[in-house]
Amino acid sequence: MKLSAILPVARVLRRELAVTALLLLGVSVVVFAVLYLAPGDPLNVLLEGQSPRAQLAAREALGVPHTWYGRYGTWLAKVLQGNFGNSIRTGLPVLPELARVGVNTLVLTLGSLLLTLVIAVPIAVHAAVNGDTAGNTAATVAAYVLSAVPVFWFGYIVVYVFIHWFGMFPLISGAATKQPHAWLYFLVPIFVLGTASGTLAELIRHLREELSRVLAEDYIRTARAKGAAVWRHAFKEGFLIPVTEIMSAKIPFLLGGAVIVEQVFNWPGMGRMAWQAAQDRDFPVIMGVALVAAAFVRTGNLLQRVVFTMVNPRASKE
Amino acid sequence: MRRYVQTAGPVGEFSALPLLQRAETRDLVYAGYGLLVVALVFASYLLGAFGWLPHDPRQMDVGLINAAPFTPGHLLGTDFLGRDLQARLILGIQAYFLPGLLAIAISVVGGSVLGVLAGYRGGWVSTVITYFANLLDSFPRLVLILLVIAAFKADIYAIMVVVGITGMPETANLIAGKISFLRQKNFIEAAHALGLPAHTVILKHILWLNCRALLVIQATLGMAEAILVETSLSYLGFGVQEPTPSWGNMVQAGANYFLQGNFWPSTAPALAILATILGFQLLGDGLNNMLEGKRRR
Repeated sequence: MKLSAILPVARVLRRELAVTALLLLGVSVVVFAVLYLAPGDPLNVLLEGQSPRAQLAAREALGVPHTWYGRYGTWLAKVLQGNFGNSIRTGLPVLPELARVGVNTLVLTLGSLLLTLVIAVPIAVHAAVNGDTAGNTAATVAAYVLSAVPVFWFGYIVVYVFIHWFGMFPLISGAATKQPHAWLYFLVPIFVLGTASGTLAELIRHLREELSRVLAEDYIRTARAKGAAVWRHAFKEGFLIPVTEIMSAKIPFLLGGAVIVEQVFNWPGMGRMAWQAAQDRDFPVIMGVALVAAAFVRTGNLLQRVVFTMVNPRASKE
Repeated sequence: MRRYVQTAGPVGEFSALPLLQRAETRDLVYAGYGLLVVALVFASYLLGAFGWLPHDPRQMDVGLINAAPFTPGHLLGTDFLGRDLQARLILGIQAYFLPGLLAIAISVVGGSVLGVLAGYRGGWVSTVITYFANLLDSFPRLVLILLVIAAFKADIYAIMVVVGITGMPETANLIAGKISFLRQKNFIEAAHALGLPAHTVILKHILWLNCRALLVIQATLGMAEAILVETSLSYLGFGVQEPTPSWGNMVQAGANYFLQGNFWPSTAPALAILATILGFQLLGDGLNNMLEGKRRR
């Protein structure tokens, strides 16, 4: 790779890193503000039933700052040091727990993203190259229907099929590694999230639109006329950019879908953790999940920007 | 059958044909199905609101649990407590109808304001709004909602406020894009030259005359999202609680029986969710293709 190709990427990377840092700071403000404005705070949950005086004394003893910026400052300083506090329900520190289950969620979402690609790309490319045929229309309609299927119900169908047709039971994924076909337990939730989360339909539609637009461009016609490989010329603008765009835009939706899929399949991930924390009003945990999820999203976005700049170095001079 | 009757003009491409003849058959089918769903949902909402139900949705019949559809007296069968599914499905619309409208109203109005500010003012206002939009997009919506539930023990209306706010950036983005597109046209400049006040230009020329189709489409797609969020949350056990029916908690309630092979009590509400969300999505996309001409050929 030539230096002239790396420089714009480095420039964009620096700018995007700064933007990402600024956004993550904003994320922390939002998360903190929501819970600051909440009636009651973690101490209320912790000290429930004690007299107001005892509560006040406990606050003083714990050194809880009185002002909102004081609290935000102490909280943020701790978060930056990797101290997300302890779960109110279990008493365990949040960050190690998050790291443990976060990996599971990462596997689930990245796996389903990969599956979505494997299914969507051939359909979209075929549709873009061949135009409106009956098969393509059917695929589009099928993608529409699939994206409207409630993920939880689809999950039940898959579970039922696995229990009653393939005789696999119990279907407790992730943790169940000692059983035969453990990898299957692992793949089923990925399959459900990858097919029924709405990402599939969106990717097919977007890739198909962009690719057919690019294939109609003048430079493709020129390439075709001089006998060059059309695919090589269309790849960057017609394939790489739309695919990375949708993938990075869909990460938040996949993480949201993961909350439901993890619930259906008992998958020990961040989504289940968030669900449990919302049930128990376990503030440190839900704050941690929100921060980590936002960090996932911003990282995906950063990668997309880098790919975009590598493809189109002019973008770095905006 | 595709007709090319567009004539290029200085302002854009217009067709002389009326909308219904100009539109593609597929988009008409999409929008037609969508309108049917909207009409059904609205009619069912009214039925539920006035209490005109085929059965008492809370009356249990232990002798007739998990009945199949077309059981005499219960057109769509019964659930695990022998309650009439048809009545509960109709009543389940109450769970999302008004909250969904609230979410739409917030995202459309808020999105318009932000979009006009970003597109019309530009400059640092636009930068701030872009930052705000990226900030909201950083959160998975469901995680943000769970955060709000944990903080406020939020009811469905409060949740729908969050849904509305998280829907604002998309609308704002579209409006800002539309305004930057319209800026190239002469009529905004002409309106300014004529001395029309800014609010007339914004409200009449930009929002009403040029963005209303876009806003209707956004509202339609927003309803699909609101239904998705409401059913997901009530499936997860937040929002509307038993014995009040919601399509999400009906799917959840039927889950155990589903795995034993009794599909219907869970499948009926799931199909209702599927058909309704599909309807709103297809209506939005069909209208989009017809009115905004997004499909590039």
